[in-house]
Amino acid sequence: MSDTVLQVEDLSVHYDVRGGGLLNTRKRTLKAVQQVSFELRAGETLGVVGETGCGKSSLGRAVLQLVRPANGRVVWQGRDLCGLSDRELRPARKDLQVVFQDPLSSLNPRMTVGEIIAEPLRIHQPELSAAERTEKAAEMMTRVGLLPDLARRYPNEFSGGQCQRVSIARAMILEPRVIVCDEPVSALDVSIQAQICNLLRTLQRDTGIAMIFISHDLSIVRYMAHRVLVMYLGRLMELGSRERFFARPCHPYSQALLAAVPEPDPGRPVSQYADPLPGDVPSPLDPPSGCVFRTRCEHATPVCVSQQPALELAEDGHEVACHHWRRLGGHGAAT
Amino acid sequence: MSALIDCEHLEVRFRTEHGDVCAVNDLSFQLQAGECLGIVGESGSGKSQSMLAMLGLLADNGYATGAVRYRGRDILNLPRRELDQLRGDRLAMVFQDALSGLTPTMRIGDQLAESLVRHRGLSRAYAKAKALEMLEIVKIPAPDTRYCAYPFELSGGMRQRVMIAMAMLCQPEVLICDEPTTALDVTVQAQILRLLDGLKRHTGTAIILITHDLGVVAGLCDRVLIMYAGRAVEVGNTADIYASPQHPYTAGLLRSVPTLGGDPDTDLPTIPGQPPDLERLGAGCAFAARCGHTFGPCTEQLPELTRVGPAHIAACHRVNGP
Repeated sequence: MSDTVLQVEDLSVHYDVRGGGLLNTRKRTLKAVQQVSFELRAGETLGVVGETGCGKSSLGRAVLQLVRPANGRVVWQGRDLCGLSDRELRPARKDLQVVFQDPLSSLNPRMTVGEIIAEPLRIHQPELSAAERTEKAAEMMTRVGLLPDLARRYPNEFSGGQCQRVSIARAMILEPRVIVCDEPVSALDVSIQAQICNLLRTLQRDTGIAMIFISHDLSIVRYMAHRVLVMYLGRLMELGSRERFFARPCHPYSQALLAAVPEPDPGRPVSQYADPLPGDVPSPLDPPSGCVFRTRCEHATPVCVSQQPALELAEDGHEVACHHWRRLGGHGAAT
Repeated sequence: MSALIDCEHLEVRFRTEHGDVCAVNDLSFQLQAGECLGIVGESGSGKSQSMLAMLGLLADNGYATGAVRYRGRDILNLPRRELDQLRGDRLAMVFQDALSGLTPTMRIGDQLAESLVRHRGLSRAYAKAKALEMLEIVKIPAPDTRYCAYPFELSGGMRQRVMIAMAMLCQPEVLICDEPTTALDVTVQAQILRLLDGLKRHTGTAIILITHDLGVVAGLCDRVLIMYAGRAVEVGNTADIYASPQHPYTAGLLRSVPTLGGDPDTDLPTIPGQPPDLERLGAGCAFAARCGHTFGPCTEQLPELTRVGPAHIAACHRVNGP
């Protein structure tokens, strides 16, 4: 497709961990992301949702090559980023930026906010003078809703919401084409979350930047994303348009996730929630055979134990990895 | 009916290098037997500190004044020994971070049994039977095996269940839960909310739920108290407050939360600015700087909690004014 900015194919991320065995020295492989494929289109936001340990953050980092994938390809402007050296990656880094969850710890405490925001310019556009950098940083501060007068302050003088604005300004100053936001509002107060969400949406409208928005909060993802990718234990469960996903989720895991969202509606008390999924997410070091979701799925049958479901194409370009999605319909709306 | 907990003019202060900081100011509320009260606020609003003060758990530089009565008896100035008898027995608390609430080097079963031996003087064997029963009530799978597990061996959701089991062991009359599901995944959160709802229904335990999540409050709480900058700004039945919030802060909060039913194509309404610095509060309403409806008295005079409906109060000058 012509408007694809980033193509991710069969991406896997593995970590070596030590643990278990005699003296805790047995080496094991944690497969955090397994064979995930998707494309990111120009100007769109792809929401990546899932619970702790599902691999959504690892996926975001692997796309940016902040962790090196074990397998797969990340195709950016016709080149696979996975094989490139750090030096060869540098031009791409300019276009692929990131905002992390913890606003304070991702900012250098010894640099002023103005320096932090201008730092990418110093690295990627060394031809600019200090005055030009300062001017650009001030301009960027205004765009993210910070008074340029604050440029000489240090991050610890800022609130969480302001720090997140600084992170966004730093990420946006090189006018990147793709930004990965990893739980950018989870650490913020409710009244500040909406401000930051709106800011990201405005920046996207103005610049046409493509966004990967990683979050565990489905209500926020619905508000931010054009398409939704659901992960569970490192695997892609479902991928489709926001409209289709929230109206008729195909995968039983997606259905359960949606049903568990506490809505601010006193007319829907906890006692009326659908039965929550039983149990916890299994250890990613020892995932179930076949379909990784089967241990918590009420629809599981023997085939789910023996065979890993392939990603199938449903209508509207929706993709789903479940042996029984046709039977479960994706017709019974979960909300 | 007299209230189970009657909190009157509670004030919590912390001594700091820059002088005293007031974290909770003139907080009054009542908790009736069997009800679930939600306390909602953002970080620094004083929601957690007010509860810690009630149970005598403030940090060393903190102190509380006012009165907190449990069944008519002031517990704020109780001698340590008497307070210890109440805490964990009649009044129990569950914290957000279950791992730090459990002793890491002790098997969870022993931790559970200990509180029964200590508060109820049960024999070890009987305490163990009771503890196992409670692990079953909070739906811990294979309770016999888990009884011998150490906290680090359990998942986050499982640890939170153990914390709730421990809190519920002595059948307390009041269970205070401070962000009990904030650290949990949404499917596990649904399990814990269901569990708390069941406990409320079947044991009649009154619950105070401290949270920033308006969805959780809607699902569980009969009444809600909204705090801002250390003060209660609105109190009422959950249904009334959600249907017609009277304080602009409450209204703004409710509007700014994205929902599964809202229109995702329009920007979220927001509350501008950020919560105030507690060390630099002015004379007027603490919310005035962020409020779109201010007039004359808002920046000069503190608004008092005023009745705006049956069992519904709000602290906003607009309630009486233009």
